[in-house]
Amino acid sequence: MQAAGGFFSWEWVVNHLDDIWDRTVQHLLLTAIAVGVGVVISLALSIIALRFRWTYAPITWFTGILYTIPSLALFAFLVPVTGLSVLTAEIGLVSYTLLILIRNMVAGIDGVPPATVESARGMGYTGRGLFFAVELPLALPVIIAGVRIASVTTIGLVTITALIGQGGLGFFILRGLNLFYSPIGTTQIIVGTVVSVALAVAVDLALVGVERLATPWSTRRAAA
Amino acid sequence: MVDEEGGGMIEFFGEVAAWFGDSANWFGTSGILNRLREHIQITAAATAVSTIMAIPPAVWLAHRRIGGTLVVAVVNIGRAIPSFAIVVLFLPISIRLGLGIGFWPTFLALLFLAIPPMFTNAYTGVAGVDPDLVEASRGMGMTDREVLLKVETPMASPVILAAVRVAAVQVVATATLGALVGWGGLGRFIVDGFAVRDSVVVFAGALLVASLAIVTEVALGAVERRVVPSTLRSRSEHVESIVA
Amino acid sequence: MRTHARRTIAGAAIAAFALIAAACGSGDDGGAIEGPTITIGSANFSENALVAEIYAQALEAEGYQVERKLNIGSREIYAPALEAGELDLIPEYIGTMLTYLGGTASPDSAETHAALQVAWESAGIDVLDYAPAQDKNGFVVTKATADELGLTKVSDLAAHNGTLVLGGPPECPEREFCLKGLEDVYGLSFTEFRPLDVGGPITVAALEGDEIQVGLLFTSDGTIIAKDFVLLEDDKALQPAENLAPAVRAEIIEAYGDKFAETLQQVSSKLTTPELTAMNKFVGIDGKDPEAVAAEWLKAIGVTE
Repeated sequence: MQAAGGFFSWEWVVNHLDDIWDRTVQHLLLTAIAVGVGVVISLALSIIALRFRWTYAPITWFTGILYTIPSLALFAFLVPVTGLSVLTAEIGLVSYTLLILIRNMVAGIDGVPPATVESARGMGYTGRGLFFAVELPLALPVIIAGVRIASVTTIGLVTITALIGQGGLGFFILRGLNLFYSPIGTTQIIVGTVVSVALAVAVDLALVGVERLATPWSTRRAAA
Repeated sequence: MVDEEGGGMIEFFGEVAAWFGDSANWFGTSGILNRLREHIQITAAATAVSTIMAIPPAVWLAHRRIGGTLVVAVVNIGRAIPSFAIVVLFLPISIRLGLGIGFWPTFLALLFLAIPPMFTNAYTGVAGVDPDLVEASRGMGMTDREVLLKVETPMASPVILAAVRVAAVQVVATATLGALVGWGGLGRFIVDGFAVRDSVVVFAGALLVASLAIVTEVALGAVERRVVPSTLRSRSEHVESIVA
Repeated sequence: MRTHARRTIAGAAIAAFALIAAACGSGDDGGAIEGPTITIGSANFSENALVAEIYAQALEAEGYQVERKLNIGSREIYAPALEAGELDLIPEYIGTMLTYLGGTASPDSAETHAALQVAWESAGIDVLDYAPAQDKNGFVVTKATADELGLTKVSDLAAHNGTLVLGGPPECPEREFCLKGLEDVYGLSFTEFRPLDVGGPITVAALEGDEIQVGLLFTSDGTIIAKDFVLLEDDKALQPAENLAPAVRAEIIEAYGDKFAETLQQVSSKLTTPELTAMNKFVGIDGKDPEAVAAEWLKAIGVTE
């Protein structure tokens, strides 16, 4: 065992700041793509669900199943088809965002006060204009709350993609697993974990900021 | 591994079916039945222990209206903690504690990950009970304990049961990662399959794990519907969970 | 007026020319070598990643553009990646790789190496000169177990068939040089095989905690000495020659020529088993950083300064 009995090496951290930075950027990129694609797909599905109400149940049922499937299993389903690639990681990561995003988008739009919609109609808004110019902006707080949850969840899941050759900060965790008798190993596990959590908290706060900027008229805060 | 569309895929699924059909894959220490047993046992144990450790304190604190801000903080941080990291972290911890590899790091990690959301869900459930109802009960002369046991807990039961269900499904998912720290369970098929690049085993393992997760969700959901009176059912919708 | 302007223009032109000349002549790119980036990969255990790191740093010191993709996975994952061009160089073990390709490996290093070169040629992979350092599969027991059961050689385990648990990498049951070979060549049988990691800390912990009695570690692993384990002698010569050699895509060799192979050969020739074992100990036991250990060694053998 390590003579000093230590489990954390600041020296390693200092020597690897650029590696840590690179992995953090990779981590953020994987997250951003997943949440971005997730938002687009969820928006499409939400619009369908809002327009054709009967589709809401099957859509939530299907995305619910995707959500229930353990992430390692989901990636395992995809690897024989799409290989050990970023695509595999992204398909998996996107799948986990859908349920929460769709739920929040639909709930957000439904939550727009009918009176407001009426007034907008009275002013001449119809169809697509009504949706994009009135309902969507007013639903933004609830939607962004969903994006926050999806983002934080995705950041956690990105670490697992280290097992299929991707990983972002999960790379350090996996490497630490191969070396945990040495302080270098435990340091890497800790660094991978702490930076990942810090990243999630930072992204969460940033999105709260985005919400405040995007909805200057809103005095109500959406429930997390 | 799949060469062309249509035909390749069908052939692949044929191989997966054949794998399940081979009785050698079902028996023995590394067979499906044993791994399934391990997985179910650890899930049951971890869910039970988490329930005992999380729910009573949560209910009591919510009853006393203490700790609300802590709960919100725990929810936000808890969602941010990667389960993979916790499972791996508990390995050296478990070894240093003299508990060895495999079962204990996995079990402790499962507790660590399941207790916070269970706690916050139970807390939210009890804290969310209609205050007028609580007022009225006190007005009727109920003691503090009676209010807790006869009003708040039953009213919060849908949320509490939902919390247990969500935790159980999450535990099934996280237990899959136990294969990385020397444990068995259904994750073994996925991890070992990856190691030898046998996509049939990987896929079969994924099927087993996904099925167990879905069965757990559906089964506990059915129990919930039985136990919770229909009038209270709408309360259990927004229960926190961690995706693992 | 005009004379003045001409002088100014001339002066500016001279200044500009001087600046351009200075920029061209400074050789500011530090002798960087033009050509495709070399992607160096490794298996998912620390020794292989360490050797990959050594090769990477040696090449970088010469000015090659290097990208690292270390700790990829087992051979089934990184070998196809190398052949497909996702990787350009990996440090391989000649015996196991030859067997993986369907050949027959022997305890003779030169023979095994030549056979590997032939076997891998068709996939467009060149196996460059091998290092003296070998790393074979080693079957290890704790000192307590060795004393209790009187074990010094692998064949001693036959007397305890059906009572011991073997632990090793998940691919062990299918490998000729692992469980499959133990069963076929030594006639051993274990009560259980526990898939752990690739001769890594989980296997060490399992041995220490007596969760397994026999574990697979690598013969160049510093842990064996550090933990006072007993490496059972391979008396029936199950293990073939396992020298390290860089496997490189032929395209890269073509792109860079002889100097590239020479750089790697300079490194390989100095890599002996004791040197490798010592470095493994620095990384695995003493907790030193693999990048630092690699750098120190390269400096010590004179490849970098």
